[in-house]
Amino acid sequence: MTPSFSISRIWTLATATVTQLLRMKIMAFLLIFCVIVVAAGFAFPVMNPEQQLKLLKDVSFGALQLFSIVIAVCATALLLPRDLEDRTLYTILSKPVPRFEYLLGKLFGVLILIGSGLLLMDIAFSGVLWLRQSLVLAQSIAALQQEGTATPEAIAQLKAFVGKQGLTWNLHLGVVAIFFKAAVITAMTLMISCFASSTLFTIVISFFVTIAGHGQGLIREYFFTNQSGVVKKVLSALLAIITPDMAIFDIIDNVINGELVTLAAFGMMAGITATYLIGYSVVSHLLFVEKEL
Amino acid sequence: MKRKLQALIVLLLLGAVRLPVEQFVTQYYRTTGLLSAPLSLGLRENLSQMGFAASLGGLRSLVATITYLRAYREWENVNWAKVDSLMQLTTSLQPRFQNYWDEASWHMAYNAASSYLYDEKIEPMVRGKLYEEHVQRGINILKEGLRYLPDEIRLWNSLAEIYERRSHEPKLAAEAYLEVYRLSRNDRYARFAAYQYAQTADPLLWRKAYDLLRASYEKKQRTPSLIENLKTLEQRLNIPYPQRIPDSNKPMEISPIEQGPVR
Repeated sequence: MTPSFSISRIWTLATATVTQLLRMKIMAFLLIFCVIVVAAGFAFPVMNPEQQLKLLKDVSFGALQLFSIVIAVCATALLLPRDLEDRTLYTILSKPVPRFEYLLGKLFGVLILIGSGLLLMDIAFSGVLWLRQSLVLAQSIAALQQEGTATPEAIAQLKAFVGKQGLTWNLHLGVVAIFFKAAVITAMTLMISCFASSTLFTIVISFFVTIAGHGQGLIREYFFTNQSGVVKKVLSALLAIITPDMAIFDIIDNVINGELVTLAAFGMMAGITATYLIGYSVVSHLLFVEKEL
Repeated sequence: MKRKLQALIVLLLLGAVRLPVEQFVTQYYRTTGLLSAPLSLGLRENLSQMGFAASLGGLRSLVATITYLRAYREWENVNWAKVDSLMQLTTSLQPRFQNYWDEASWHMAYNAASSYLYDEKIEPMVRGKLYEEHVQRGINILKEGLRYLPDEIRLWNSLAEIYERRSHEPKLAAEAYLEVYRLSRNDRYARFAAYQYAQTADPLLWRKAYDLLRASYEKKQRTPSLIENLKTLEQRLNIPYPQRIPDSNKPMEISPIEQGPVR
């Protein structure tokens, strides 16, 4: 008898999804990212060291976010229509594979792809940042030696100063926050694609909800703090309820400036991500289980 | 149809459950400095549509870097009004990055102010006024930055230096140096504050200066400036002779690190 829930089946579907997406050559973005990072790392050498390192981090994290959001929306939106088009979906569902396992396999496949992509880009970025940081430090120490003020205390202070703007473990937590955001967008896009009539519809709506999600905090705060008008309050509540809060994952802006991500803060973000993933997966299942194929 | 209704109910329930949680987490992140305050809609007028959308879409830091680079280019073009407006935009996007505040005020209080002061194409009276206005602009930028980062030593130090060197307000410079001292516990800044108090015309402030310098003297921090200022203050305040410091022919030698950065 076939078990009703099988992790190995989901894993098989996830790996097949990764292969399917890799064949679409979407990882070419990685190469573009490496070029951007290297260019940002060595551009504008006339700026002060602190600003040079910040520029590298800003550009790299901007590219990381862009990559993860575009892949999350486009790759996920393509999955179901592609499987329908080449009839893979019928082959899979004709076997004893429950529909929710199929959906979970697809979701995890995209998440594995985004996670691996982010990991590779994080490694590339860390390497360039470390190199740039070492160069900046060496230049600053040389300047101190020229002035005759290169005491051990001054060098230690300089190291601490450059180190704060350089490579820290905290930055990797920022990358994890980007992954969490991408995971929520992936789950949301999968949910939309379960009732969408075309790939284009899924992509457009998903991008729209993602952009609106970055302003969800403003709508929510309006609902909680504004006292005027029942209609306005109901409308703002409804909007806030249907859009996910994307801004909550945007801690990277301040992590770049050296703000520390505490365990509690990280735990809250992981909890919110898990809630979205579970919630959207349940909704996706309810929509997909009734879908005429 | 039944499943679709169930899906809608789950979606609404999920939203209703997460709203208060997200409100709490957002507040918590703002308190711990992980999230900045939401963007003012007034920024929309200064940023391009794309820039505003990008800054809303989690690329605020990147947009700030771009506006900073644009300000840098305008600085090279000696377009001070544009530098000010772009740096204002940059600091609004990233108010928790002290470097932006520091640099914005430096552009105004030093670069723009001096540029106008030495511009011979402008009438001398107007030059002086423009100088004062831009120094004041630099001070205002730092004060605004300190509203977001009240414990930022670098900003307090820059404020003290502007009061000392540009607007020549020793009392305010002393107060800012004392703030640096309070935050850094570096005795050098207590001495700097005392030197500024000593330059005022108020005997009560001379007494403060004397107390600060005397405390440093007792800690064996006997730099040439300290001894010179202390002796002047002893005379001004009529300190009884037995309480005065002995005449010293040879001041203590100070290591380069004690002297601080080259000015």
